[in-house]
Order: sequence, then C-alpha cells, then structure tokens
Amino acid sequence: MIRNWQQDMPSVQAYWINRILYDVHHKQGHLQQYRDDADAYMKDIPLPAEIKSLIRDNEVGKMYLAGANPYLLRAHCLGVKIPEHAFLASLRAVAGEARRG
Amino acid sequence: MAELVGAFATSHTPVMLNLPDALSEADRNTIYRHFQQLGKSLAALKPDTVVVVSDDHLHHFFLDNFPAFCIGTGDAYPAPAEHWLRAERQTLKGDSRLGAHLLGEALAADFDPSFSMQLTLDHGVLTPLILADLAASVTLVPLLINCVQPPMPTMSRCLQWGRFIGEAIRSYPGNSRIVILATGGISHDVATPRMGMVNEEFDREFLRLLGTGDDRALIRHATDRVNEAGNGAEEIRNWMVAHGAAKGAAFHVHFYKAVPSWYTGIALVEWRLRE
Repeated sequence: MIRNWQQDMPSVQAYWINRILYDVHHKQGHLQQYRDDADAYMKDIPLPAEIKSLIRDNEVGKMYLAGANPYLLRAHCLGVKIPEHAFLASLRAVAGEARRG
Repeated sequence: MAELVGAFATSHTPVMLNLPDALSEADRNTIYRHFQQLGKSLAALKPDTVVVVSDDHLHHFFLDNFPAFCIGTGDAYPAPAEHWLRAERQTLKGDSRLGAHLLGEALAADFDPSFSMQLTLDHGVLTPLILADLAASVTLVPLLINCVQPPMPTMSRCLQWGRFIGEAIRSYPGNSRIVILATGGISHDVATPRMGMVNEEFDREFLRLLGTGDDRALIRHATDRVNEAGNGAEEIRNWMVAHGAAKGAAFHVHFYKAVPSWYTGIALVEWRLRE
C-alpha cells in the first residue's frame, strides 16, 4: 500500500524544492520571473542541478518522489497550467517507486 | 453565556470550482444543491459567528513556521490565497473578539495554539462557503489545523480540541449563537500516484463511527486506516474537532458519494445539537 507521505519529516532538500514551489506562486512577480527563465530563477537555490531540472521540466512524479509536498506540487501544476492528464500520468508512472508500508 | 447551536462538516476541494465539468451535470447539480441546503440550514440557526475548522494548504503558512493549530483573531480575512482558484477575490468578516476568547481559553486549558491576526484563507475555507451561499454573510473565526505536512497532530488530539472548543464557546460571555463548520476530506489523494482513488469503504465506516458515539473506535479507524484513504483524508482531523464539540449530539449524513472525477469522497453532515 502506498503511504500518504513520502517523508515523515521534510528533508532539507525537500524544503528547498518546496521553497521554490511556494515562492513562485505566493511572492509578487516570482511567477513571471520563473516563467521567463526558470534556471536563472533557481540559480541561488542550494539544490543539485538534477533536482532543479526536474522542477524546470515539470517532472511531476519525480518531484513527488524527491519530497515535494503534494499540495504545493498540485498548486504548482494548476498555477503553471500543466495539463491534467499529463500531471496524473507523471504521478502514476512512479507508483512503483512510491513509499509503501 | 454563548450557545453552540449547530455543527456541520463538508468535504472541500478546489476542483469543485476549477473543474466543475469533470463531473456529470446531474452529479454536480446534486452536490451543489446539497451545499446550498446546508447553507440554508446553517443560516436558519441565525449564528452570530461560525467557527470554521479547516486547514491551510501551504498558501499562508510554509515550512519556515508551520503551526499545528492556529486560531484566527482578526476581523477580516482576504481570500482566496490561490491565484489559480476560480473564485472572486473577497474579504471574509472575522470575529476578533471570539477568536481572542478561544485563544485565551485554549492557553488556560493547556492547549498551545498559535494565533494570527492577518490570515489569508484558501479554498479549504472559501469553497464550502461559496457553494453554500454563505461567504458574504457569515462572520467567522478560523481554526486551522495542520493536515497537510507531516508531522501532524494526532487524531486523538484533534478530538480533544473539539471537546475543548465546545466548552470554550459555551463559556463565552453574552448571548451569541455560534456554529461550527468543519471542512475537508474525506477519502482522497492529492498529487500522489493514487490520485483519483476514493476509498468508499473507509469513508462509510468513518461516517458510521461518527454516529455511534464510540470515540475509541473512531480514533482507531482514523489513525490506523488513514493511509488507506489518501493524504487528503488527513483532513478528517477537522471533522474530529466538530465531532468533539458536538458532544454526542444526533448525527445525520445528508449526502455521501464517492466522486473519483473530483478525486474525492464528498460528504455533508450535521450534528443536530438541539434534537
């Protein structure tokens, strides 16, 4: 059975993933900055390049596995208008890797 | 002293507003009609204030400071926090005096909530109020519980909070009429590989237990089986507060349907405090 949460306590990496997802949609002007140049927007965030790529490329399922809070992930997908079918397909593709127990 | 004159609970989900057409017209209209009926029932109680027990979905709070319980003590609450929610920007009226009373009583009773005089509320509060035609008319005190980011308060603690809130309302000086409205849940997953799964068996057992008065079994079900019902089902913490405040009052399920197209088990219920 897939558990409700990937992490019982957010890792520091998850914090920074979530920091991006939160700031993009809650700080004035950040959504436009992110849309204009996601790489530049994330330049000073202390995350590995491969994690930043997941965010930039809308790899929803892998962001979930990496510890993105599901509510922030959902809001991000609505906020940047990721098609619903692509959002769901990306999540379902990682079902086998999700935390179980 | 004030009187707790009603207690209600409803599911909430942003897709009720954002993706209405994902559901058949018949089902959608049935659900909307039940929300409107709940709104009429609530309004008929002529409440001075509605204590809305819900959760912030990481729109106001963030991981830099995330309270387990937060009481709103402001007199105005902008909503919605989500720029993408298909809802008119508005300001909900707040009852700062009752909020301050609940905060003070909580601390005196060894509960340790945070408080905020400037909350921006999200779909968890706003969506049910809009669908029930209550957003413009009610004055509210929000009680926000962390149901969205582990670690979270226990189900048992939320039931204790409910019992406390009921008593704190009843100790409020004056003749105010107060209603509790809990929102959230029930079974659903948000942004997980299971999204779209609705565990109807979990939901129906949860609803049954709310009506039995067997709080020990209710807590066991909520605690031990919530992982079978999805991360969105963690919001039944809000229902536990309403249940605790209602002190075993007659429980009625007005509507339940598993609605996978809206990703959620949709229920609207009432504890009839005056039967």
